[in-house]
This record gives sequence, C-alpha cells and structure tokens, in this order.
Amino acid sequence: MTRRKAPDLRVRIGSLELANPVMPASGCFGPELGAIVDLNRLGAMVTKTVFAGPRSGNPAHRLDESYGGMLNSVGIPSDGAAGFVRQLLPHYREWRPPTIVSLGGLSEEEFFVAAEQLAGVDGIAAFEVNVSCPNLEAGGHELGAVPAAVERVIRGVVDRVQVPVIAKLTPNVTSIADIARAAEAGGASAVTAINAVLGLAVDARTRQAKIGTTTGGLTGPAIKPIALRCVWQAARAVQIPVIGVGGIATVDDVIEFLLAGATAVQLGTATFTHPDTMVRIIDGLAARLAADGVASVSELTGALKVGPARHDLGGVLDASAPETGSPVPHG
Amino acid sequence: MGARPLPNVRLVKLPPAGPLAPHVAPPLLVEAPVVGNVPVARDYLRLTLEAPGIAASAAPGQFVMLTIAREGELAPVLPRPMAIYGIDRAAGTIDVVYRIVGAGTRRMAGWLPGERMTTVGPLGRGFTIPRNARSILVFGRGIGSCSITTLVREATGLGVEVTVVLSARDRDALIGAETCCEAGASVIEVVDSDGSSDPVRLARLLGHAGHTHDAYYVCGSHRMLELAARLAHHPVRGSTATHAEVQVSLEAHMACGLGYCHGCAAGRPGLPAETPLVCRDGPVFRWARTERQDAALADALAVGSDVAAGAASAPETAP
Ligand SMILES: Cc1cc2nc3c(=O)[nH]c(=O)nc-3n(C[C@H](O)[C@H](O)[C@H](O)COP(=O)(O)OP(=O)(O)OC[C@H]3O[C@@H](n4cnc5c(N)ncnc54)[C@H](O)[C@@H]3O)c2cc1C
Ligand SMILES: Cc1cc2nc3c(=O)[nH]c(=O)nc-3n(C[C@H](O)[C@H](O)[C@H](O)COP(=O)(O)O)c2cc1C
Ligand code: FES
Repeated sequence: MTRRKAPDLRVRIGSLELANPVMPASGCFGPELGAIVDLNRLGAMVTKTVFAGPRSGNPAHRLDESYGGMLNSVGIPSDGAAGFVRQLLPHYREWRPPTIVSLGGLSEEEFFVAAEQLAGVDGIAAFEVNVSCPNLEAGGHELGAVPAAVERVIRGVVDRVQVPVIAKLTPNVTSIADIARAAEAGGASAVTAINAVLGLAVDARTRQAKIGTTTGGLTGPAIKPIALRCVWQAARAVQIPVIGVGGIATVDDVIEFLLAGATAVQLGTATFTHPDTMVRIIDGLAARLAADGVASVSELTGALKVGPARHDLGGVLDASAPETGSPVPHG
Repeated sequence: MGARPLPNVRLVKLPPAGPLAPHVAPPLLVEAPVVGNVPVARDYLRLTLEAPGIAASAAPGQFVMLTIAREGELAPVLPRPMAIYGIDRAAGTIDVVYRIVGAGTRRMAGWLPGERMTTVGPLGRGFTIPRNARSILVFGRGIGSCSITTLVREATGLGVEVTVVLSARDRDALIGAETCCEAGASVIEVVDSDGSSDPVRLARLLGHAGHTHDAYYVCGSHRMLELAARLAHHPVRGSTATHAEVQVSLEAHMACGLGYCHGCAAGRPGLPAETPLVCRDGPVFRWARTERQDAALADALAVGSDVAAGAASAPETAP
C-alpha cells in the first residue's frame, strides 16, 4: 500500500489561519488546562468572555447536571479588560495557538469600551463578540436577538480593532439566519453558533429551582441537534465561515458539524467530562480523514446531503393490510 | 450542602492565591485503574485507585475530580469532586470514601477492579498545620468526614495531639472513626438520633474537657463551624489562648476543578468582583469573623450566656 499524504487540517477564519479546526468554547477553557493538556495542539484558544470593567458572577448554584448535558449560570465574572491583559493574557502567550478574546457587554456602548481597551494589544489574534450570553441580567441576551443591534455592535467593534471579529450567536431566537446575516452586514469575519440554550431545572422534592438565577444555559450532547440545525441555517444564510459549537464530544460530531456547514468547531462541556477530548479529537480526525481518503478537512464543509434518503426497494408497496396474520407491533 | 453561602463569614484564601498561582503540586490527568471499591458503612464505599503520581504529591485536604462517564461515554458530563481520604505512597494508590447520594455516585458504586477511570488531581489547597501546634480539634460531619482523614494522619505523624469529633445522623452513617483512631487521634462520635450532636451539648462536653487547641478544622457542617469559631475565638474562662486558627473545607458544584470555569465560586452575590473559587483558592479556607458577628457575640457574653448559645440556630448542612 502506498502511504497517503497526511490530510490537511488547516482552516481559515478571515485572515486567520488555524493549524486545525478544533478550539475550545468560551468559558470552558483557560490556560489552567495547560497543566494537564498540551495546548499547543489546539487550532486556537478562546478566552472566557471579557467585560470592560470588573464584575462578579452569579449566586450559587452556578452549575447543575441534566440528562446528557448541564445547566450553567456562571454569569461571566470578569477582572475587566485591564485585569485580563495584566493577569491572564500573559499565560495565553506562553502557548503557540492564536488567542481569540471573547468580548462582552451589557450595552452596545460597553462592547465598544472593551474593544477600545483591547485593540492593538499584543497576543490577541481575533475577537469573538458574545452577543448571546443567556445568563446576564440585562442587555446581552435581548441584544443578540435583535438583528439591527447585532449589526451595530459588530460594526462598532470592527471599526475599533485591527484583527478579525467573530460574532457568537444565541440559539434562543426565532431566526438565527437573520442574526447571522446582520453580523455579516456589520463586517464580521465569521459567526460562531451556538451559545447555550436557555433552560430551567427544578428539584421536585424541595420545589426549588436548582440554579441560583432560576434559568441557566443548557450545554453538552443534549443540545447537539439544535446546534447542528443552527449551524446549517446560518451557513446557508451567509458567505463568511461558521464556527460550530454545541454538544461536540467525538470525531463523528466534528464531521457532522463540518457537513452541516461549519469551517471550524469549538468544544465546551466535553472538556469537563474528559479534559483531553480536544486533543483526542484532533488525532482522531486526522486518522479518520486519512482512512476515508479526504485530502483536506475543508472538503467536508457544507457537504451535507439533504432530501429523502434513497432506498430502492425494487418493487411497489401495497398499503392494504396483509391477508393473514396480525400486524407486528413496533416495540 | 453544596455552595450555600456562609452568612456573616469572610473567607480568607489560604495561602493567598491569584489566578494561575502554582498549585501546591501540579495536577495530573491519569486513567487510573480501580484497585478496589468496597462498602464501608451504610451507603458509603471506599474506592482505591492506582495513581502513583497523585499519591506522590497529594497533600492533606486536597481532592480529585473523578469522571463518571466511562471511556467512550459522553455523559454524565460533569466529573465529581471527591476528597482524598487516604494516600499510600508505597503502593502508589489513593483512597476516596464516598456516599451514594445521586446518579453519579450510584454509578461509581458499579466500578469494577481493573477498569480505568479518568482522574485529575491532586487539586486545590488543603489544610495547613500551624508551626509549633501542640493540639488541634477536627470536626467532620457526614461526607465531610472524608476530607479530614489525611489531615488527622499528617498531624499525628508530626506529633500533634489530635481530637476528632465525627458527627452523623445516626450510628450507621458515622464514617472515619477507625482511620482516625489508627492514626492515633482521640475520637468523639456524636449523632443526631440521641441528641449528642447538638452544638450546645457538644460545646459543654468540649469545654468541660478544659482544653484549648492551637487550631480548629471543620468540614461538612455550618453548625460545627460556628461552634469551632466560638471555641477558637473565645475559649473557656481561665484559658490564655485566644484567636486560634479556624480552617474550613467547603463544597461547591464543580465542572473543571482547575479554576477556569468559575462554576464553584464561594462567596455571596452582589460583590463588585468575583469571589474565591472553591476549587482553586480552597477547598480549605481560613475562617474569619465579621464585625457584626463579633458584636452579636459580645452581647451574648455580656449576659453571661453559654459559650455556644445561639450556635444551635444555625442551619445544619450535612445528612
Ligand atoms: C472538594 C469536595 C470534596 C468532596 N469530597 C467528598 C468525599 O470525600 N466523599 C463524598 O461522598 N462526597 C464528597 N464531595 C461531595 C460529592 O462531590 C457529591 O456528593 C457528588 O458530586 C454527588 O454526585 P451525584 O451524582 O451522586 O449526586 P447528584 O445530586 O445527582 O449530582 C448532581 C450534580 O450536583 C453536584 N453535586 C451534588 N452534591 C454535591 C456536593 N455535596 N458537593 C459538590 N457537588 C455536588 C454533582 O457533582 C453533580 O454535578 C465533595 C465535594 C467537594 C466539592
Ligand atoms: C460553564 C460554562 C461557561 C460558559 N461561559 C461562556 C462565556 O463566558 N462566553 C460565551 O460566549 N459562552 C460561554 N459558554 C457557552 C459555550 O462557549 C458554548 O457555546 C456552549 O457551552 C455550547 O457548547 P458545548 O455544548 O460544547 O458546551 C459557557 C458554557 C459553559 C458550560
Ligand atoms: S470548578 Fe471550575 S473554576 Fe472551580
């Protein structure tokens, strides 16, 4: 057998070239993970959402588990942009992959203040504008549901920074395609879909809402079909790349997102379950593409087959009941 | 229990830590073979994992994150924080004693010897024993009793006189007595079912022992924390020692255990900045009294009330 060339895992997000399409999801990663996982293997690193000024997070409990996933309402505690640059960014610089800084704000103005503070800072390769956090007491979520507001926020950030700007979209809207189009119109280099799905957990025994803020964001394998649908809808609506996120935990999951239209993927909850999932997936993806004879990972993007799957039964089905015997019940 | 905010309590990081301050020892990610998983009391099992690297560097009061999902499984998505109950450096193993309380621990009870489980540790900042300490008092209640055994062993090994109060709802649910006795500690077992765990009774018992300690440690009970604080800060009349150290090991729901997800913050809401993280800045904190509490206590003492008066009203936290 002849040795095939190793598959090309590189992907482009705007002017940014990534060594592979796998990166962490915002809030589910920090350089602290570098103590147990080789972060140099990642396509990129994504920070927790940074606000302009310092803010505290939400009351306990901030986490709860649910079937096939989890609810969180951490609420984006932040040291503020200055604190981030001083305390956390130096630790990102110790690793080779590009750092994508997630940017947050409760008002349009607050996004711009944060963008101005971080513009031109060494070691920031791109911004992911979080117009989608389900756990903020004001603004964030609603803002991400209004196309005109998303367009203004993205344009305002694009105007203030020199690196690619990615818009992170919420699934908690009627038409994610409209929001994706607004982000593209604002000048986004890519969109990330999706942030957490708004949920509620109840303790039947104590009659208490399990999460401190009552509602929280559902993440993990349970939301994968929703995320896939959103990626597919967003990818059909815009020309810019889509970064897929939501319930990814295996090589198959990654391939599914690529087929649905994603150029790259992010992993959040899966890193909690098995901290080295991203690295295992990068290895597994290369092996899988090689085995399938796929030369470049980008060949898969958007290659989803739709429409009724073809089964040629080579005959004509007769809908009338069989003459004898009783129908077999389906279990 | 979990991360219910401690009212009127200021948590002091111990030792002071910032983001990414070096761990006591860097944590490891290992696929640890199960060596044993056997019942030790009603609803309690002792899990032994082969993890020489963790055993080599684990310190008293540290914990591990145990992934419940087996290799190839995607859920349950969250790993479970578990205190390190015992360390056998020669054998290269660590022990965890856990109580079956929900879906995750129920699955743990099915783990078989030879299976490899994803384990991260040692994590967090554990207990510290003050230099020159001669005697310490350690409280453990319910599953909180599982966090103190490494401290007890370390302290007795240093020649410190250790008194351990173990508390539970009833006799069958008491855990850790044998381990603490073997280590050379004096053990007092108290239970709710005969009223002996009542803080006022316990305060009298401990007060009449006429003994003060250089440090007090608590895990698993807010009421015991109150009691320890009173004993530490206002010891029985005639004693000279005041303001002995109080350390408390807290619990919080966790996802990463490493300090990046911010799921486990310990403090009260409404503060301008993020509060300490139980996984990174704790789980052991130095306990500090607020002024309001000092005032309340001064009032109580002024009317000549019992040392522990009022402690009994604090809500109980452990099963
Ligand atoms: C630092 C630390 C050390 C601990 N050490 C021990 C120990 O040595 N022995 C022991 O039996 N238990 C210990 N616990 C508590 C243990 O983590 C919980 O009992 C366990 O997570 C329950 O999981 P479950 O799936 O059975 O329960 P469920 O109630 O089904 O769990 C649902 C979710 O809530 C979380 N959760 C539930 N109860 C707790 C709790 N008390 N603390 C933190 N998270 C919780 C779970 O991790 C899970 O994410 C410790 C907790 C912490 C934070
Ligand atoms: C604990 C936690 C914290 C999160 N924090 C943020 C955040 O700060 N900013 C953000 O844009 N998304 C945040 N998210 C959402 C994730 O980035 C991601 O969109 C979501 O978890 C879905 O992916 P997953 O199913 O792989 O986890 C957070 C998710 C979790 C579980
Ligand atoms: S558990 Fe993630 S920060 Fe503490």
